[in-house]
Amino acid sequence: MKLTHILTIGVALAAATTTARADQLADIKERGTLVCGTLGTAEPFSFQDPKTREIVGYDVDMCSKVADHLGVKLELKPMSVEARIPELMQGRVDILAANLGWTAERAQQIDYSHSYFVSQQKVVVTEESGITALEQLAGKKVSALKGSSSAQGVQREIPDAETVTYQDTSSAFLAVVQGKVDGFCASELILVKLRKQAEESSPLSIIEKSVFVEPWGLGIRKGETAFKTEVNKVLTDLDTSGEADGLFTKWFGPETVYEMKRDFKIGEIQG
Amino acid sequence: MGYVFDPAAVLSGQYLDWFLWGIATTIALTAAAWLVGMTTGIILTLVRMVPFRPCEWLVVGYVEYHRNVPLLVQIFLWYFGIPELLPDVLRDWINSHNSEFVLATIALGLANGAYVTEDLRSGIQSIPKTQYEAARSIGFNYMQAMGWVILPQAFRIVIPPLVNQTLLLFKNTSLAMAIGVGELTYRTREVDSYTFKTFEAFAVATIVYLGISFAIMAIGNIADRKLKLEIR
Repeated sequence: MKLTHILTIGVALAAATTTARADQLADIKERGTLVCGTLGTAEPFSFQDPKTREIVGYDVDMCSKVADHLGVKLELKPMSVEARIPELMQGRVDILAANLGWTAERAQQIDYSHSYFVSQQKVVVTEESGITALEQLAGKKVSALKGSSSAQGVQREIPDAETVTYQDTSSAFLAVVQGKVDGFCASELILVKLRKQAEESSPLSIIEKSVFVEPWGLGIRKGETAFKTEVNKVLTDLDTSGEADGLFTKWFGPETVYEMKRDFKIGEIQG
Repeated sequence: MGYVFDPAAVLSGQYLDWFLWGIATTIALTAAAWLVGMTTGIILTLVRMVPFRPCEWLVVGYVEYHRNVPLLVQIFLWYFGIPELLPDVLRDWINSHNSEFVLATIALGLANGAYVTEDLRSGIQSIPKTQYEAARSIGFNYMQAMGWVILPQAFRIVIPPLVNQTLLLFKNTSLAMAIGVGELTYRTREVDSYTFKTFEAFAVATIVYLGISFAIMAIGNIADRKLKLEIR
């Protein structure tokens, strides 16, 4: 009997925490801060600036633009890949700017803003492994972050490979460098940076073909239409004013190690 | 918006398979680490009894390291640190032989060994010294006194604390998910990140953990009762 009592209380609590709350946009303005969930460990999207010790990056800039527009202060909250969606759903953050790729399953849980980045999800391998094509990863181990779309993408696109998931980028990456797994699947940009860092000690190469391509959006709780409209307005304005281009160049452009060109526009994610 | 509790959503198709793999891995990891832990614990206890001071210091150092460094750190050290010190051939061999599981077993087992040896020591110390003296006075040598008088009683006394350590070890296997061992917690989180049925997924895991814990306790109780000396 006791067990059922405990379960009932648990269910009741879970139900209570998911009940609808007041308009979030109003809440944020009243509070005067926008709480933005971000990873903090994914250069160049969100990472700690070694000089200032602040978390900076492309994702962070997106959040700060939203905060500026609403006229509130920005508060960053670092979180793990795995915890980000539950944290948003439970209302501990207002918005997610956390390398959040669009998937159909996630879109049933949370809303996405317009996409502000389009990511090529690739696999990095050691040069000495001699792996050059995704097919060669069949029967091998590929690491990814726990709860990431890459982990699911590898299982979907290379079903013969075994995925091993880790809590953070550094563990998943170290596992490749130390030969515990054969590849690491993540956003190309993250991989480019890591390859650069490991250039001398352990040469790595990135498999040319993408495992999959995914649009990234800011995550917003379901049903917060007013807030979502505002966020989308900010993003669209960034695109038309050319500021979005500027931000892209700042973090990924020719002056950076990535030397990328922007080949997408900010727009609604087509599921 | 009410919450619909729907355990079937996480207990069907591939999710059920994941749970079952997870449970199997958790049990295998517990069993393997338990064997490592018991063996280490017994060896350390024997080393400690050697009447040569540095032997005792060695065991004390071992116990203090494993008790005072967080287990997760020890696991990371075994997984990311120790293999790098090995020769390439050996390292590649480990990496191609389920290194996550093996290294997690070693880390968990060795840490458990530290607690086991402490329990064994306290068990031996709880036997009055007069019994040892009595055994010696009727002509037993040191080994005989230990083997026939002290250890049989000490082992019975330490069964309850050892069951306790086994339970802790069993629950600590969940830390192995940090290095990618596909045990129950790892699989639960995987199911969670696919289905977003957090409450259901963890409810299943909780019930399984509780069930296995109760089983361990029951086995411990039976062993305790079967081996208990009848008081005449």
